[in-house]
Amino acid sequence: MPVSGQELTKFLRTVEILCLLLVVLSFYLLYASRTGEAHTVWEVLHPAFIPMLFVATSLLSAILLTSEKAAYKLLFIIFYSILIHSFFSIIFPAGDMSGQQTILGRTRLVYDNVVLHGWPQWSTIPIQSRVFEWFNGINFQAGLSVVFARMFSIDIFWVHLFLVPVLWGIFIPIAAYLTTKALTQNDKVAVLSSLLISAFPYATYFGAISMPNSLGYIFFFYSLYFALKHLSSNSSRTAYWIVPFSFFALFSHYLTGVMSFSLLFLALAFKSSRSQEKTSSLTGKISLGILFLFCASLLPLSLIYLRFFHSATYTAFTLDKVYELPLQEIVGLFLLGELIYGFDVKTILLIIIGPALALLCMIYQLYRLKRDPHSKFRTHVSFLFVAFLIMLIDYGILKVFMSGLPLNEERLWVFRDLIAAPFVALAIYAVVSSLQAFLKAKSPSTITVSGLKTLSKANVLRVSGLLLTLNVLIPVVLGGWITLSLSAAYPQVAPLQTTWYELEAVKYIAKNTTEKYVVIGDIWTIYAGEMIVGIQNPRAYYFAENDPRGYNLSSRMQSEPSPQIMIEAMNQTGTDTTVAYFIVTEPRLGAEEFKNIVSKARETLTVFHVTGAGKLYVFSYRKG
Amino acid sequence: MNGSFRLSRLETLIAQDPSLLFTLASYGLIIAMYINLNAFNSSVLGIATSALYFLINGIFLEHAFFEKEATFFRLMFGILLLIMLLGFVGLFTVIIYNLDVIRFTSVLFIATTLSSLLNRRVKNKNAS
Repeated sequence: MPVSGQELTKFLRTVEILCLLLVVLSFYLLYASRTGEAHTVWEVLHPAFIPMLFVATSLLSAILLTSEKAAYKLLFIIFYSILIHSFFSIIFPAGDMSGQQTILGRTRLVYDNVVLHGWPQWSTIPIQSRVFEWFNGINFQAGLSVVFARMFSIDIFWVHLFLVPVLWGIFIPIAAYLTTKALTQNDKVAVLSSLLISAFPYATYFGAISMPNSLGYIFFFYSLYFALKHLSSNSSRTAYWIVPFSFFALFSHYLTGVMSFSLLFLALAFKSSRSQEKTSSLTGKISLGILFLFCASLLPLSLIYLRFFHSATYTAFTLDKVYELPLQEIVGLFLLGELIYGFDVKTILLIIIGPALALLCMIYQLYRLKRDPHSKFRTHVSFLFVAFLIMLIDYGILKVFMSGLPLNEERLWVFRDLIAAPFVALAIYAVVSSLQAFLKAKSPSTITVSGLKTLSKANVLRVSGLLLTLNVLIPVVLGGWITLSLSAAYPQVAPLQTTWYELEAVKYIAKNTTEKYVVIGDIWTIYAGEMIVGIQNPRAYYFAENDPRGYNLSSRMQSEPSPQIMIEAMNQTGTDTTVAYFIVTEPRLGAEEFKNIVSKARETLTVFHVTGAGKLYVFSYRKG
Repeated sequence: MNGSFRLSRLETLIAQDPSLLFTLASYGLIIAMYINLNAFNSSVLGIATSALYFLINGIFLEHAFFEKEATFFRLMFGILLLIMLLGFVGLFTVIIYNLDVIRFTSVLFIATTLSSLLNRRVKNKNAS
């Protein structure tokens, strides 16, 4: 009985509806896991969530291997991608406790019109520093978030938390699709790549936190796509598109900006070397080699010269690690970085399996295309291979030969992952298509049940095995890989995230104080405070998270709470502040110490508010 | 198929912008957002007007720059360009002074005017 095209379409639609339903249910389960007090997402995730996500991912992988329209497949991937990047924003009351909270602290000031001319509030003297501060990413993200918050009429808190997960969820799969399509001209490989980008833990993590750097990765990926397009285009207009995307990557973060510009130079060099091939191959190769060195050195050198714009940067080249560490550790650091320190084997494998597979695929493609010098995609593969090498070399240089970096070197791995995704998709698709070819060769009539009847018993088993591998095993393996990689993307160990009662206390103070006030508290209180009223807001002052004065006042209050320290805090705000608050939280201090501080503070200060079933106390002191 | 056809027709209609109808509609949406911010503060109204704003101006921009791409990718490129434009104008407004409600409204006006002008430029080029 032949399976008609109509029946197949019906079956496909059923699978699609089921997949969509599972994604919607997963969103619901994620929302049901929302908690006010947790360390990691794994602690509170609904027990049915991961199995459901695994089934949804497997179904999605199966849909991607069908002949459904690419735009529909991408829509599914976009929903899915938003889901897996929203763990922090949906589960925790204030998102992940990290840099994103400090970014919101600055964005809040722009939203509430507290600062003029952007962040920072103070004026830096050298003009180049001022210009750097204007375009350093915080102001760009603040501009974007505030515009969205006002458009949607939603508080900046929510817009900020979901800005990157949503933008990443929508635009990164599309960029992956376009980049892979430009490389392979194959729709199925391209959609597979847009899903597989979620199998890279570092990329998933950066897509889940609202940081300028994460926004920069999005623009970087589009500049990479236009670079590839430029290589296969005869028009110089395509090169113009790399420039605005590189500039936006730079507006978002200097790291993504510098990497985008290196790839721009590299693409131009590849393009010109291709035209020079006809005249002099040696000149082309030499100029390409020089350009490679230039592009690879752009990031390390730019980090050194960052001090010209940003005075608090002390980056330098150093051989300290080479002298101090044993050889195997240096090699380990160069290749695997922080992974050599205490990470479990499963996490290491999940992080390196994608890039390793991509590297092997790149080498194989280069070998294959060497025999076909007129192949259209030879330049593309070579370009991406060189870009991949630049990322690896730059990572090694930053990790082993530099010190005092203003950023974590592992951020470079996101670039590596973005370049790797198309090749991983290519490798997987090669397996799928060779299985399909084998299946066709063995039995051209496998799609029909009657066709199976005509085969011998041994062949029926073989064909059924291949069919099972193609339609079930490969989607299940892909689903399992992507779901499992989430365990490496979202931390397994973390400090207690901002709790509901810390947020509630901060909101309570803001709502019930009409005068200017200052709040003394630990770093966790500062994180909560800056999300609600901003950082160093003259009306509601929270010391910046890196301000030693705030740390000093907090530790003194914790050892000996007194009105004198509160007065000192009021005087340090630089405005006519008349009220000071002191916040102590039990889970941050431990029950014994918390009890001690509360009983001491009660003697001299007024209890202003108690929340979290007695886990948080707010004490106040009023001047005069 | 039918959905894609309808989207394509809507896209053509907006890109043609007969008698600046959609540009004016976009200005109307900005005024609606301004009123919403000052009077109602309704997220539902905000999201609805923003969605229409993104659709109109996204189509203007995709028509101006990505005419040759497939419908879905054209639209996504248009929306991405609009987000970049809003971010860029927003950034300069933040640097110049601040992004209060009035200046936010100006950001939207600038983005719409630029998108509409770019769309018209391509339209005139295609006509000539």
